[in-house]
Amino acid sequence: MFSCSATLVPTMNARILVVDDDSAISEMIGIVLRAEGFEPTFAADGQAALTAFRDTTPDLVLLDLMLPGIDGIEVCERIRAESGVPIIMLTAKSDTTDVVRGLESGADDYVVKPFNPKELVARVRTRLRPTPEAESETVAIGDLVIDVAGHEVRRGATKIPLTPLEFQLLLALATKPQQVFTREMLLEQVWGYHYKADTRLVNVHVQRLRAKVEHDPDNPRIVTTVRGVGYRAGAVT
Amino acid sequence: MLRFDWRDYLDRAIRLWRGSLQLRTVALTLVLSALAVTLIGGYVVTSVRGNLFDQYRDQALAEAARAIAAAQDEFTDADSSGTTDDLDLVQRAAFRAIAAVISSDPMVAMLRVPGQSGQAPVIDQVTGAFSRSMVSATMRQTLLEAEQDVAAWQPISLPAEGGPDDPGLIVGSTLRLPQSQLYELYIVYNLRSVQSTLDFVQGSLALAGIALVLLIGAVSYLVVRLVIGPVRIAAEASEKLAAGELESRLPEGGDDELATLARSFNRMADSLQRQIRQLADLSTVQQRFVSDVSHELRTPLTTIRLAGDVLYDQRDAFPPATARTAELLHAQTERFELLLSDLLEMSRYDAGAVHLELEPTNLVRLAEDAIERVQPLADEKGTEIRLIAPGGYFEAEVDARRIRRVLQNLLGNAIDHGEARPIDVYVDSNSDTVALAVRDHGIGMTADDLGHVFDRFWRADPSRQRSTGGTGLGLAIALEDAAVHGGVLEVWSEAGTGSCFRLTIPRRRGEPLGVSPLGLPPEEAA
Repeated sequence: MFSCSATLVPTMNARILVVDDDSAISEMIGIVLRAEGFEPTFAADGQAALTAFRDTTPDLVLLDLMLPGIDGIEVCERIRAESGVPIIMLTAKSDTTDVVRGLESGADDYVVKPFNPKELVARVRTRLRPTPEAESETVAIGDLVIDVAGHEVRRGATKIPLTPLEFQLLLALATKPQQVFTREMLLEQVWGYHYKADTRLVNVHVQRLRAKVEHDPDNPRIVTTVRGVGYRAGAVT
Repeated sequence: MLRFDWRDYLDRAIRLWRGSLQLRTVALTLVLSALAVTLIGGYVVTSVRGNLFDQYRDQALAEAARAIAAAQDEFTDADSSGTTDDLDLVQRAAFRAIAAVISSDPMVAMLRVPGQSGQAPVIDQVTGAFSRSMVSATMRQTLLEAEQDVAAWQPISLPAEGGPDDPGLIVGSTLRLPQSQLYELYIVYNLRSVQSTLDFVQGSLALAGIALVLLIGAVSYLVVRLVIGPVRIAAEASEKLAAGELESRLPEGGDDELATLARSFNRMADSLQRQIRQLADLSTVQQRFVSDVSHELRTPLTTIRLAGDVLYDQRDAFPPATARTAELLHAQTERFELLLSDLLEMSRYDAGAVHLELEPTNLVRLAEDAIERVQPLADEKGTEIRLIAPGGYFEAEVDARRIRRVLQNLLGNAIDHGEARPIDVYVDSNSDTVALAVRDHGIGMTADDLGHVFDRFWRADPSRQRSTGGTGLGLAIALEDAAVHGGVLEVWSEAGTGSCFRLTIPRRRGEPLGVSPLGLPPEEAA
């Protein structure tokens, strides 16, 4: 059980854990992050990554998937099991299976090597962005109640643990219950992409969200699919 | 409607005939054996009939001759013994004599020969259903002209109740009565019994013939099956093999020709399977190599890119030469990245390792998207891009990313070679095919150039300023993208007038390519 970080993190001094086995890349990313005011820490393999994560409790993790020893996927799963910290995958492989595997293991977003440093920074900032204030204090969706300020989601008295990304996704749908959100709209609102990006991001995260909040993930009532268009919040019960 | 039906049946019948060796063989055997049996049976029946009738006739004639002689004797005796008063009694005696000789109860008639002088000694007498119509003119004539004791005879038809006429035989002779009175004596035999015997024989033969034909048919069917059976199994196995089931084999057994066939087939199948496995393995190896190369090259490139970008961002702080260095580094790193990306894509196509991500896509929106992306380049050159899409249903099952890439490539080339004149983008479709075309009105290509335009790394004019920074692989990849969708990419060009590249793909995956809804080049509206 973990709790989402409820504090507003000033992005300027955010701690970022950089996990990559290539030292040149790590160093270069470090230079770029420092130039933007972040505080990078480094790990070169899976085991070191987990240790560093527990020791330094970063605000975001940049994780290369191809790691010696413990695989990047596994590192991602283990970190995700303990915390809702934003994780951005770095990967040289853009094949569907690899990307989807990474997203399913808990990553919130991914960047393909080689990447534009500005792109990387934009992704990092988006993930560290605080949740925008909603109009009301609580929002209902399905049989859930979302406590906006407290960053909590309850079904009755039970709290449902969600990562910040999943929380933002659910909130986006819940605050506009009549709206059908296309994948592009969600990519823009939740991930900050302003161009045609990978819709698999949305697909995988909706599935993960459903696995956590739906009574029956195969018959979703809370996050419903509108065929050929996108997703919509289910009716309040 | 009825006419259409039988032609349809005829087609089906022809197809069935051509498709089954077994059917042809058995049918042919049945037809030929039926023909043979019919001919032989016909001959047998004919000769039996002839023989039967001949025998009966001879017997009847002999009998009739004796009967006539007996009747004549009665009259002759009566004449010689002088008892000529009661000729009726003699007549009755003659009839009895005839009946005594002929056991089969024929019709007998005694008729006075017309044209004689004097009174008739006895009245005409007939038995049974005799009628004068049974005696034909020729018969009477022959009879009258014949010498004594020679009978004339003729086959006739006798009316029968409820059926066809019975065959009959009429025998006639003259009788000499006292006072030189001549009478005609006719004996009519009904050959119904002979006919019924013949009918029986015919019927039995027919039955036997049919049974024989059917038997032959059955035997030939069995024999054919013995041979065709294994052949059909071989055909099915070949079909399965051709369809991709590389494990299909034939059962081997025996030493005859069929066993030899089976063994050869199995050897061939083994060889095929092995070859295909080898090729598949090779392809897997190549795919893995592509994937590994991709990863390996991208690692140092990432650092180079990051470093280059950092320097590039700070170039204002450098002395001019260093700033320029940073600019060149940035530009060439970008070019290297694109080249690497294209090379890897090309390798994937070569290794057959391309995975299409199909989804229903609106092609007009896709075209708009691509145009938007190249708009900055177009604006730089002052080129106008027009989208021409007549109303219609533009959904197609495509890999959006690839098609967009093709369009962007075509647009980039068009902007490069378009001489700032407007570029037209056409989107059109029909029920099973969609097409996109990019037409520029620029410098065009010579016929020679056209032949090379899709070659890898080929440029029409190497010295040309390439503002789009292409890698030389764009069209080659576009060609492959078209092919992997089951479609084609075609080009038209005229030096000085312009060029047009047309992409035609089936609307749904897996369907054959129909006629392109766009012309090449498309007709210009304006």
